[in-house]
Amino acid sequence: MRTERALVGAGKAVAVAAILVWSLLPIAFIAVSSFKPGQDIFAVPPKLLFTPTLKHYAELWHSWGAFFAGLANSAIVTAGATALAVLTSTIAGYAYARHAGRWMQAGMAGLVIVRLIPPIVVTLPLFPIVNALRLNDTHLVLIVLYATFFVSLGTILMRTFIEQIPRELDEAASIDGAGRLTILWQVIVPLAAPGILAVSVFVAVYAWNEFLFAFVFTATRAKTAPLVISEMIGSIDGVDYGILFAASTVQLVPVLLFVIFMNRHLVAGLTAGATKG
Amino acid sequence: MEATKPIRVWPMLAPVHALVLGVIVLPSLYVVWLSLSASTFGQAPVYVGLANYLKVLADPAFRQALLNTVLLVLVAVHVELLLGLGMALLFASGLPFRRFLLVAVLAPYAVSEVTAVVMWRFLFDPDAGPVTLALRAWGLPTLDWAYEPSHALVLIGLLTVWLHLPFTFVILYAARLAVPGELYEAARIDGATRWQAFRRVTMPLLMPAIVIALLFRYIFAFRLFSEAWLLTKGGPARSTEVVAIYLYQEAFTFNAFGPAAATSWIMVVASLLLAGLYALVLRRSGASHAH
Repeated sequence: MRTERALVGAGKAVAVAAILVWSLLPIAFIAVSSFKPGQDIFAVPPKLLFTPTLKHYAELWHSWGAFFAGLANSAIVTAGATALAVLTSTIAGYAYARHAGRWMQAGMAGLVIVRLIPPIVVTLPLFPIVNALRLNDTHLVLIVLYATFFVSLGTILMRTFIEQIPRELDEAASIDGAGRLTILWQVIVPLAAPGILAVSVFVAVYAWNEFLFAFVFTATRAKTAPLVISEMIGSIDGVDYGILFAASTVQLVPVLLFVIFMNRHLVAGLTAGATKG
Repeated sequence: MEATKPIRVWPMLAPVHALVLGVIVLPSLYVVWLSLSASTFGQAPVYVGLANYLKVLADPAFRQALLNTVLLVLVAVHVELLLGLGMALLFASGLPFRRFLLVAVLAPYAVSEVTAVVMWRFLFDPDAGPVTLALRAWGLPTLDWAYEPSHALVLIGLLTVWLHLPFTFVILYAARLAVPGELYEAARIDGATRWQAFRRVTMPLLMPAIVIALLFRYIFAFRLFSEAWLLTKGGPARSTEVVAIYLYQEAFTFNAFGPAAATSWIMVVASLLLAGLYALVLRRSGASHAH
């Protein structure tokens, strides 16, 4: 019995080690290697002890100014898309949580079905329209696209979270003379904060990392960081892994910290999104 | 509150529905018209019936892309399910530093496809990648992904599993935590072995979550674009294209809007069919479990 328990414990330890290696090693590899002198990046076996250098970051700064412009673009687009998606989903989610009826059911079904349309499908018809409106290569087009592809899930999630808030609170505020927007802002929003945070995590991570729409709809002015990194991968003078690792690390660290910080909301959102949507 | 007139509700719904209609629904319907016509830049569309669909379905490049996509989806999603299920059961069995481990497992969720491609390209670099060198040192076969299409697909599959395992894991882990502990207590008192408890208690109760995780992942994996594009651009010689890359190439490289539109609707219909299947299975499992 004791040996069996020891075996189970050892098996678990091996499994946990495998999970950590799988999840974290690829991330650790590029983050650590971005500080290695060039010749140490490909050292065999991988060098754990090395003199850290900021050389690759300096080179990135000097030769890839477009990357830092891309980071700024990513930040603008992420903030805009998150604000737009959260605002519209919260208002719609509130309406869906508090009103029933055939039209409301149809609207909700529409939001569920819309999630089945792959984003690449709309690139073809939107490309000429975006050009005709002279919105090509602007922050606005990415903000609208990113927000739109998450408002359906956002609304579904917000409805789920707001449904758990007792209606009596709305009614009490309403008797006190509060209007609908006042009720939404002062009563619902504070209590539905976990839902708002969950939706924010989804949209912000998506907007910060997205590649396809940025690739199709931006060229120079609104180019986001992932797009610049993809150009580094494909640049003619071969892949300079040191600079590539530095850029990837800079792109990754903010969103990784965000996900770590918001992990509870992410888990709650994923769970609610999968079972309700 | 229920009695409020619709006139007071619709302004609250308008922004979301306007975005969805304007950006997704109407453009998708326009794609239906495009898929039934012949057109390219600066040329008015002419109705051609199902010719584009027939052309796409007969195109060897499309068939290759479809085959690649189906293989990738089937293998990657099921590998993901097995890993996610194993991890969910491991976590539920009690682990020290559970929160830390959970956050570690979630980490790839934060990684963009582009950064993930940077990582895995490096790890599997044919000349100097750490994983390649380790495999070689142990006398194991390495991935010659830059030249060998099937090896490239394996690497794309690995990347996909790595990026999306957090999603599958969280769904299954949440479902496992929702199974009441008394059920295992009862099974133990009845003399059930661990395996029997797993077969008779865990699996039936996890089934709805497994179906949900699988179908979400089928639908999303079927759209796969960035990982494959960034790793191989569909090459060499269109051998590693997936359906979304085929669509992109038809639309933006060859300006063949009709076939691209037809491919779009083939993707939408495939998603709808999968979702229909999902609704059917859920209704059935819902009937037997009153979940």
